[in-house]
Formats: sequence, C-alpha cells, structure tokens
Amino acid sequence: MESQIVLILFGGFLLLLFIGAPITVALGVSTLISFLYLGENPIKFVQIAFTSVGSFPLMALPAFILAGALMEAAGLSRRLINVAESFAGPFTGGMSAATVFACLFFGAISGSGPATTAAVGMLMIPAMIERGYGRSFSSAITASSGGLGIVIPPSIPLIIFGIAALGMPPPPAAVEEFGQFQTVSIPKLFIAGFMPAFLIAGSLLIMNYILAKKHGYKGSSDGWSARHIWCELYRGFWALMAPVVILGGIYSGFFTPTEAAIVAIFYTLIVGAFIYRELSWNKLFTALETTTWLTGRVLLIMFTATVFGRLLVENQIPAVIANGMLSITDNIYIIWTLVIFFLLFVGMFMETLATILILVPVMLPVAYSVGIDPIHFGVVMVCCLGIGFQTPPLGENLFIASGISNISIEKISVAALPFAFINTVAIFIIAFVPEIALWLPRFFGY
Amino acid sequence: MKKFWGILDNIESYICRTLLAIFVCLLMLQVVVRTLFNFSFSWVEEASIYMFVWFVFFGASYAAKMAAHNRVTFQFKFLPPRAIKYIEAFADLFWVFFNVYFVYLSIDFIFNKMNRFQSSQTMGFHLSWVYIVLPIAFSLMTFRVLQVNYKKIILNEDLRDPDAIDLEEVRAETANSEQGTK
Repeated sequence: MESQIVLILFGGFLLLLFIGAPITVALGVSTLISFLYLGENPIKFVQIAFTSVGSFPLMALPAFILAGALMEAAGLSRRLINVAESFAGPFTGGMSAATVFACLFFGAISGSGPATTAAVGMLMIPAMIERGYGRSFSSAITASSGGLGIVIPPSIPLIIFGIAALGMPPPPAAVEEFGQFQTVSIPKLFIAGFMPAFLIAGSLLIMNYILAKKHGYKGSSDGWSARHIWCELYRGFWALMAPVVILGGIYSGFFTPTEAAIVAIFYTLIVGAFIYRELSWNKLFTALETTTWLTGRVLLIMFTATVFGRLLVENQIPAVIANGMLSITDNIYIIWTLVIFFLLFVGMFMETLATILILVPVMLPVAYSVGIDPIHFGVVMVCCLGIGFQTPPLGENLFIASGISNISIEKISVAALPFAFINTVAIFIIAFVPEIALWLPRFFGY
Repeated sequence: MKKFWGILDNIESYICRTLLAIFVCLLMLQVVVRTLFNFSFSWVEEASIYMFVWFVFFGASYAAKMAAHNRVTFQFKFLPPRAIKYIEAFADLFWVFFNVYFVYLSIDFIFNKMNRFQSSQTMGFHLSWVYIVLPIAFSLMTFRVLQVNYKKIILNEDLRDPDAIDLEEVRAETANSEQGTK
C-alpha cells in the first residue's frame, strides 16, 4: 500500500513536471489522485486552501515583496549600490569586492537573484571593465554574488521556509531520541541567517582577492576618496536607514515581521515621494501589480504543497525515507553531504520558493529524525538554493551577466567555477558547525 | 467600450491591487494606533487576513493570465517552440480538470457541508462569504488558462515571460539616474 502511494504521488508529480505542467498543478493533481486512490474525502482540499493561506505571519510575504518593489522604484536600492561602489578604493580587487557588497545590500531588499545581477551588474560590470578587470571575471563575480541576497534577512525564502516548517512538528520518535527541538519562528530564522550569509560573502571575498592578485587587478592609485564616500553616504542615508528600521524593529521585539514589512512600505513611500521624489503613481501601481502575481503564484503552490505534505505525513512517508537513509549510514556528516548535493542539484532546475515548499514536508521530518535542528536546516537549505542561480544549465544570473558584458555563457560559467566551489565549501562549514547559525539567535535570547 | 473590456480583461489585477492597498493600510493603522495609544481594533487582524486570502486566489488567477506559473522546462531545450506549445497545452488540460473538480468541491463544501455556526469571530458574518472566493477565483483561473492557450495556439501570439528581465530597460533606467544624480 505504502509503496503504491509513493509511486502514484511522486511518479505522478515527476511525470506532470516532465510534460511541462506548472509546479503547482503537478503537486495538486498527483495529490488529488492519491486521495482518490486511498478513498479519502478530497473535501479537505477546500479547507486547506483556506487555512494554508489565511495566516497572519504569511502576510509578511506580500508585504516584503511590495516593500522591495517600492524601494527599487523609489531609488533606495540604487543609492545602496552607489554607497558600496564608493568604498572600492585602493585595494587589490576593490572594485569587485564592492560588487559583492552591492549585491548583498541590493539582494537583501529585492530578494531576487536575477534582478540583483541585472541592477548591480549594469552599474558595476562596465565600471570593473573600465578599470582593467577581465570581462569574464567581472561577469562571473556579479553572477556569483547575485544569489547571495536571498540569505540576508529580511529574506523571502526564509519566510517561506518558516511558514512551511511551522506546519511540521517534530515526530515523537525523534523528540524521544534527541530531546525537545526548538520551535521555528521567522525572527529566529532571520537572526540565524546573518552569520552564514557573512561567511558565504567572506568566502567570495577571499576567492576574489586571490584571483584579483593573480590577474593583477589593482585598486585606483589615488587612494580613498573621503569626499566621494561621504557624499554617497549622505545621499544614501535614508536608504541605509531602511534595514535599520526593519531589522531593528523585529529584533527589539517592537514589531512582528509582518508589521515591520508594513512599516517599511510606508517608510519607503514617504522617503520616495517626499525626500528622493522619484516615486510616481505609475510606479506605485506597477509595484502593486508585481506583488499581486508574484504572491498569487507562490501561495498557490503553498496551498497544493500543504495538501501534498499532509498526505506524506499521514502515510508516514518521511519516516520511510529517514529509515532508508539511516540504513545506509548514521553518520551525520555523510547525511549532510547527501542533503547538500541533493539541494544543489534541485536548485539548478527549479525555482527557489517552489523548491522550498515541496522539499520541506519531505526533508524536514527526515532532518528531525537524524537530530538536525530545524533552524539550522532551514538556513543551510536556503544557502544551497542560492547557489543554483550561478550554475548552468539554468543559472539565470549567468544569462543576465552575459547579456550585460556581451561574452558567452560558457566563458562566464568557467570563470564562475572557483566562486561556486568556494561557496560550496562555505556551505559545508555552515552545515558541519551548527553553532555558526545557532549561536546568534541564542545569544539574543530567542 | 474598449476601456470597459480592458478593465474586464484585467479584473483580477484591479481587485488585487485594491485589496492589497486596503489591508496594508489597515495593518499600518493598527501599528500606529497600538504604538501611540496602546489600543488595538479587534477586527483589523481578522478582516485583513480574509482580504489577504481573496488577494492570494485572485492573484493566482492573474498569474495564470500572465502565464507566470513556474514550470520546469529544461527538458524542452532541444524541441522546436511549436512543439513546446502543444505539449504545454496538453499539460494544461490537467490544470483545467483539477480546477473544475476543485470548483465542484468548494461549492459542495460551502452550500452543503459548512456548519451553520461557522462565522467570523470578531465581525459576525458567516464564513461562507470568505470561502466563496474559492469557486469564483478557480473558475476565473480556468478561463485564464484557456485564454492563454487560445492566444498561444490559435492567435499565435508570443506571450512575454513575466520573469524575464528586460536588460534594455534596466540600462535605460541606470543611464537616466546617472544623469540625474551627477
């Protein structure tokens, strides 16, 4: 019975994906067929459609998407790039290091890898080439750092992970073996994401330094321009304050993440309309429209992925997977290695948020039953999926970077390999040393 | 008349933008009132969640109209675009079946299975008024799926991928703002 359900559910899902059905349809139809096969009443679909979506914490998703869209429209994001650029200075590889920082800032706000690559690359790739950096190197570093932002809080993938994980309590057998697990919350995930994000950024900077030294990419000879930096900081002041308002509000316990996002929206409206004066009614309507279809499409997957996950758990399929895994090995490091390579692989082919929604019900119970902390697991998962943007065959960042610098994707892919390698190393360190993700939230008393 | 059809063709977009604007403002009102007067309206959270649910399902229908729902397409890389159109249209049949069945389920649930006393906790109306969005939005979504396939196959229109970033546009904007700030 169990193996037949696995075959219908996963087989149906993969088959539908293969013939090009939307991800949400593949999930919904394969689950519906399994329901009918098991003779369960599919009326549950209707209740879950309402309950999976109608939750207050989930409203943080459209609110942050809208805040990000408005920050781009109001010119806040661009000022952040300018601030990062002004710090390039006299270092070896300074300009490309500034690109990494620009991607960090921008990505944290926009939450989209390709959009980050496009906006930062359009400004920084020509600037790097002008200073004598190689075309393929400049494109590769931008494409590689473009995916970074999704780990930096406030991160939309982390919100999605948090909501999906809330519906998945640890199985009793795992609690018996490893003791009580900590509960998942979005603020906790946001804090946990900090140090891993900086570790990955740091690894990129190290690789950047090594390669820049090798190629002889020197900084500008006139040293720091204090005046230039001061100017950009002054211009970007209100943009730099936005993350302070959002994260400060959440960490001080003053706002919930949803409320912080709402406050960020109004903050951006005021700054964009009255201080920077770049926001128009037209841009506001476009931002609202983008939020509409982005949210609608993700949360439709939320609905079908929730029924899919319920069915999995009710039939104890994650337990079967966990037992299968444990029969091969019970070494936690080998399990992490398998998990990371699996996630990197899936991340190459599928959209990030959809991947999280599908894989959380499958993999989180497995993680629980081998004693992995849910917060730690979420952070590693999001880090892995961030790399998918910069690897062929579907690395959208590569396509964008190639469009800006006018050199072939193959050349950029080769130049991006060292960065992908060092990122993977960083992810292994994050996975093997749980304290990197878990220390900061505990320190803040979460 | 043309304008009327334009509005009707983007009806979900108008509904969603209005709902989004209203619940964002409501939540902001709640934050302001709470910080300044240490007071909160009991109905705001519930009302905004219901609006959010409506927003999500109409938004999903709008995403269907824009052909924005994610598919995995790398396996089609070496097929001619004409073939891809037909394969995806075939896959969309499953979508239509699913939606039709789901509309039937939700109508059955709302009119026959719902408890008479299942009503909003702070506002008192019956919850079927919230659930009614499900049959409406999924019917609309089915229409959109058919509409998109009609445009692609019969009218031979090339629908723009909403995820694609128009580099020329970004370039123009970057150049514009460079002039503005310097």
